[in-house]
Amino acid sequence: MNIKGGYFMKVLHVDLTECKTHVEEVDEEFALKYIGGRGWGARLVWENMKEDTDPLTPENIIVIAPGPLSGLYLPSSGKTSFCSISPTTGIYGDSNIGGMFGVELRQAGFDAVVIKGKAPELSYLWIDDDDVQLKSAGKYAGMGSIETEHLLREDLGDETVKVATIGPAGEKLARMACITADWGRNAGRTGMGAVLGSKNLKAIAIRGTKDLPVADLPRLTLASDKAYRKLSGHNLFEFWQRQGLMSVIDYANTAGIIPVHNFKDTHFEEADKINGDVMELEYKIGDTACFGCPMACGNVNLVKDGKYAGTVIEGPEYETAAMFGSNVGISDFAAILRANYLCDEYGIDTITAGSLISVMIEAYEKDLVTLEELDGMALTWGDDESIMEMIRKIAFREGVGDTLAEGAYGVIKRWPQLAPIINHVKGLDQSAYDARVAMTMALGYATSDIGAHHARAWPIAKELEMGANWNLNDKAELVIYHQTVRPLFDMLGVCRLPWIELGFDENTYAEFFSATIGIEFTLEELLKLSNDVYNLTRAINIRLGLVRDDDRPPDRVFNDPIKTGPHAGKVLNRDEFKEILDIYYQRRGWDMDGIPTDETLKASGLEDAIEYMVPKRKVK
Amino acid sequence: MRKKLTVIPERCSGCRVCELVCAISHAGVNNPKKANIRVISLYPHPVIKMPVVCDQCKKPKCRDACPTDAIVITDGVVTILEDRCISCHACVSACPIGAIFVHEDIETPFKCDMCGGKPKCVAACPKKAILYVPEHTLGQAHRLASALQYANMQEVEYYEHGVKKKLRYAEIETGGTRGDSK
Repeated sequence: MNIKGGYFMKVLHVDLTECKTHVEEVDEEFALKYIGGRGWGARLVWENMKEDTDPLTPENIIVIAPGPLSGLYLPSSGKTSFCSISPTTGIYGDSNIGGMFGVELRQAGFDAVVIKGKAPELSYLWIDDDDVQLKSAGKYAGMGSIETEHLLREDLGDETVKVATIGPAGEKLARMACITADWGRNAGRTGMGAVLGSKNLKAIAIRGTKDLPVADLPRLTLASDKAYRKLSGHNLFEFWQRQGLMSVIDYANTAGIIPVHNFKDTHFEEADKINGDVMELEYKIGDTACFGCPMACGNVNLVKDGKYAGTVIEGPEYETAAMFGSNVGISDFAAILRANYLCDEYGIDTITAGSLISVMIEAYEKDLVTLEELDGMALTWGDDESIMEMIRKIAFREGVGDTLAEGAYGVIKRWPQLAPIINHVKGLDQSAYDARVAMTMALGYATSDIGAHHARAWPIAKELEMGANWNLNDKAELVIYHQTVRPLFDMLGVCRLPWIELGFDENTYAEFFSATIGIEFTLEELLKLSNDVYNLTRAINIRLGLVRDDDRPPDRVFNDPIKTGPHAGKVLNRDEFKEILDIYYQRRGWDMDGIPTDETLKASGLEDAIEYMVPKRKVK
Repeated sequence: MRKKLTVIPERCSGCRVCELVCAISHAGVNNPKKANIRVISLYPHPVIKMPVVCDQCKKPKCRDACPTDAIVITDGVVTILEDRCISCHACVSACPIGAIFVHEDIETPFKCDMCGGKPKCVAACPKKAILYVPEHTLGQAHRLASALQYANMQEVEYYEHGVKKKLRYAEIETGGTRGDSK
């Protein structure tokens, strides 16, 4: 094999403890086996980890990896993955970010950055093409993400420098801290911001000028010209530009899958006050797009009057609007924007924060916690001011916020009585799609390699379309298909939305990839490699102590029937879930404890993982 | 009929597809930093995204600043003659909107040539934020905005089949001057 493009074949290694950097050449076998992005990240995490690697210690590494297609002329090529062992869950974690940050890293001539150790003082990394420096970030200590990004640019004297940063929550090691770039685009999930915080790394600033290597640029350009034409010809294209993911509010409410009051219900009476139309007519002041993306799903919104006047933020998208809207009982869109702004500025994940705050509201409603334990705040549904205060308390670890900052496991440790009402899998709070209406969604959350996030599988729409009564084999197969095709986008360094939302043909990505690297790949071959990476992340998790019992959806999915809306009375059956999990394991080539078999690992080229596949229970 | 490039910043999403297609067609590489057009994004106060590209001035300051007469106008396109250019960058500083670019790999400054009358950026822009229009229509958008401002647009909400809708209408006060409406 001979790679002719797509990669610089260079990884930048940064040792913060020693204040040293060096560049390592990547060999072709590694590059093509793991593709890039999350694939490279997972492999590098595997090679560095031990059975007892604590996510918040200098020994843990964080990998920043765009993919071989990042930054290229093809739709939505602005994605970058952050991979590490997650402080939220204690197992493998990754989260990706759009915008421009990863493209700039590639233009600096690096395919990935691996960061380990801990800087002696709060620092930032400045990558100016080949010139890499670690600089003091003392001046930015405690500063919000958006403000830090703004000031760093000013201090570096170039408005076009790209910056990824953490807010005060990351510095305080809040386990749902995110990494923010391009003013409010977040690698939100799995606490990657806390990993940077534990390394005393406040930010990474990048400026790059290099040509991105492409084996056959005319061939790529031809495929991409066609791709852009295809997307812009879609009948929902302009609607998508106008509302982006905010259009999902109406869909999710009508379909009866929107979270209401901590996932107690799935139909929100006031959805028309927080939907895409309200945003578009009352608040939107501009569009934003990630690099190379025609869809421009980002919406910049401004609150023009009322107590939150002056709040400007890119967002919310569906998850944030649901988690800080219906899920906490807020029906004032301006308040959602404010919550979005605070989470971005402090640097915390809106899904986890929205989830845990709703848990505390329900806990107080049911007398499961005392007023004193809530620092005297009588939390109620829709009380926006106390909800804003809770966000601040989490970010700065004050009072009850200190417990919430420990994530779902931390909350359960302090208040075991709350376990049945926290909607999480493996410590990661569930995304804003209720699983009670779809066994596939429950299985998707339960078996996602990072916890209850929809990035790996979002089979809910298909299941609603098909009706509930199709067989468990097909359902398990659908989840596995999702978990194979969706992470492939994260490996290539592109966004999956053109495919999901505008029906773009996934085979085109094989054409993009082949043209870029100069070696022919089919979609099937790429999907096989994505499946191999899924076995790898499973192996990481098994090595870290994951057991079958961790692969279960939140208790509420089985215990509490939906109250109102089209699916009133619906709840999932535990026995049926056990049955589908057996089928799922079998089809994955994992044994009934959820451990990949020797044959499976061999077929995935992961022979070196076999010796580690010993079941054990990690104490959480 | 002579045409010009013009931009509508409020439409721009900042995706930089214009930079990509420009760099690929002119520099032959996938490198937005070698494009003859650049998107400037500012945030959050104010939120602005604006493609910056040569206006093809008829009395160009870049030409006036050039010490070697390397900048000429050919068929309405301001052109840098590479063989005369000494790469002193005087034109880069002189351009009032920063539409002349440099890159360490490229010997002389570079700028928009309007792709020989078929600008690639215009065709590629997913938000229709870059237009290629007859010269005499330039400023039309401002004229229109000015007229609308005078018209003092009002909105009324009403319900049709239970769905909230908005109707816009003009409320023109008699006897006012253009300035009154502001």
